[in-house]
Amino acid sequence: MSLRSGFATFAGKSSYWFLHTFLHGGSSLPGKITLKLDPNILRTLGAKYDVIVITGTNGKTLTTALTVSVLNQKYPTILTNPTGSNMEQGIVTTFLNAKNPKTGRPLAVLEVDEANVIKVTQYIEPKAFVFTNIFRDQMDRYGEIYTTYQKILDGVALAPNATIIANGDSPIFHSKELPNPIEYYGFDDQPDQDMKAKPNTDGVLCPVCEHILHYHSLTYSNQGKYFCPNCGFERPELTYRLTKLGDQTPTSSEFEVDGHAFKIGVGGTYNIYNALAAYAVGRFMGVAPTQIARAFNGNQQVFGRQEVIDVDGKQVTIILVKNPVGLDQVLHMIGTDKEKFSLVGLLNANYADGIDTSWIWDGDFEQLTKRDIPAVITGGERYKDITFRLKVAGIPDDKHIVEPDLEKVVAEIKQVPTKRVYVLATYTAMLQMRKILATKGYIKEGLGV
Amino acid sequence: MTYELNVAHLYGNLMNTYGDVGNILALNYYAKQMDVHLNVKVVSLEEDFQAADYDLAFFGGGQDFEQTIVSQDIQTKKAELTKFIESGGPVLAICGGFQLLGHYYIGANGEKLPGIGALDHYTLAQDHNRFIGDIVIKNQETGETYHGFENHQGLTYLGADERPLGNVVSGKGNNGEDGTEGAIYKNVYCSYFHGPILTRNGDIAKHLLIAALRRKFPEADFSQQEALPIPATF
Repeated sequence: MSLRSGFATFAGKSSYWFLHTFLHGGSSLPGKITLKLDPNILRTLGAKYDVIVITGTNGKTLTTALTVSVLNQKYPTILTNPTGSNMEQGIVTTFLNAKNPKTGRPLAVLEVDEANVIKVTQYIEPKAFVFTNIFRDQMDRYGEIYTTYQKILDGVALAPNATIIANGDSPIFHSKELPNPIEYYGFDDQPDQDMKAKPNTDGVLCPVCEHILHYHSLTYSNQGKYFCPNCGFERPELTYRLTKLGDQTPTSSEFEVDGHAFKIGVGGTYNIYNALAAYAVGRFMGVAPTQIARAFNGNQQVFGRQEVIDVDGKQVTIILVKNPVGLDQVLHMIGTDKEKFSLVGLLNANYADGIDTSWIWDGDFEQLTKRDIPAVITGGERYKDITFRLKVAGIPDDKHIVEPDLEKVVAEIKQVPTKRVYVLATYTAMLQMRKILATKGYIKEGLGV
Repeated sequence: MTYELNVAHLYGNLMNTYGDVGNILALNYYAKQMDVHLNVKVVSLEEDFQAADYDLAFFGGGQDFEQTIVSQDIQTKKAELTKFIESGGPVLAICGGFQLLGHYYIGANGEKLPGIGALDHYTLAQDHNRFIGDIVIKNQETGETYHGFENHQGLTYLGADERPLGNVVSGKGNNGEDGTEGAIYKNVYCSYFHGPILTRNGDIAKHLLIAALRRKFPEADFSQQEALPIPATF
């Protein structure tokens, strides 16, 4: 360690100690201080570690947590960054906080924001990258999927020997020739058919010849066993295959990977992808399938279990929705509930929610009409938009309560004919709802996620 | 349903960025109330568009890359689309769709990309700026007010035989200068409005459907359809 790095590290660590001890904080400021003193500090801090970088637009946090718990089966100490600290400063802080490893070469599993991959690879050559997926986020924060992937690749270009472990069902991850060794994971549980993605799906152009991709099977959005009937481009050979999809409920998923049975305590096909990614990293690092199963079973809190709030006997689950792909997945997930439920949709359009509400039209609310939902409540600052969305989806007026005021929404929830209630809310609507529930004593103040 | 209309969803699998499919859903919603069944078909790359096969067309907006591809392919549909438009076929074109019905637009890398020139407008690009936000316009002829959300880099300038969809009450509109938003030419309605436009402005859905019905069934009496009330949704 150079004198400069040494001093920078000392300054950063001291500031962390100060912030942590006296202000109960300190997630990125120590990194900021250290980076100011030594912009190349990651080279020094990261040199001791085998680093696995997990990136992509959705599922980074859970995939990182699951990967850590899987690798923990074989590697007792693993450095990882807390949720939200996935930019350069947060990553530096993560290394600063690490205790000096006693023996051997420790592992670091880092969730890294797509544009920040290059800020890591400038100084550290990771052992592996994990690419979860790339979906378009809220549209007013416009980033095209191709631009986002290029940002990741700009970082990967500095680490040509690192193994890429990628979601093989996502066509974009097969679109560029790369020097890196690549392993793919994906779903391989359906017989081959010939179909196309729904019309309002992003990223369905063949990256080779720019024709519309077809699919032998589809999981959701543009993910599946794709092929191009024009030029023969197709999904690459999978190294890790989901061979069977078993029972799915909102709080559990059963599946087999390479013939090994697994169960995770969380619903949603997107979470199975996250588990599949963690499985792939585990296998890549030599963790046995039985150990992976133990990690999946034993670590339920990893999933940030959906909190069930008791509102005078109603079991209320609040789920954050922020983009069409996520919304579709949540709708599918609650649709797997074997019990009857009521649905609440709360829409705001503040900056943190996305100021354009167009995205709700890309969510497949029509699938709700396949079930008998006894009561639907729509509210929030943009209640008119969400109300008309559900009206068009086919929710009958006699089961549809329109109530912009969230205080009154809580009162309406107490009146619905089902015990179970799902509340789908955008970010600020969720915060407002939680605040009201906290004021009324149903939950403690705070985010709780 | 008594009536059937065939709807072409032009490049529906590529031009679909801002909830565009909501326009199809809203068309369906109002069509049902007008005793009309819609057969909607996506007409995309290398698929044939024949003017005689369709009664209504919808053309949405897409991401830069997809729009570049569509700009090439749509040249093969130019003659039939122009024929459809000139013979009074109703079309709704949003954002990229609006741009591609005109002469040309400027792409993300500054390149000039061709439209089909069926309408007489052209589109330039702002330098590192987008018009983003809520917008309200008023159509001077009908007195109708339309609400939407705009998000575009393009600056569109209308030709002599086009009227604006409305005059800007608040927001930016076609180019931020001349106070126009969107375009109307024969039965073609163009706009930069997301929302999507028909979900907040059912009157436009009604105009499109009535135009399609009258064109396909010139003898029929549509007074009931014309009397359909469109309650405000926004």
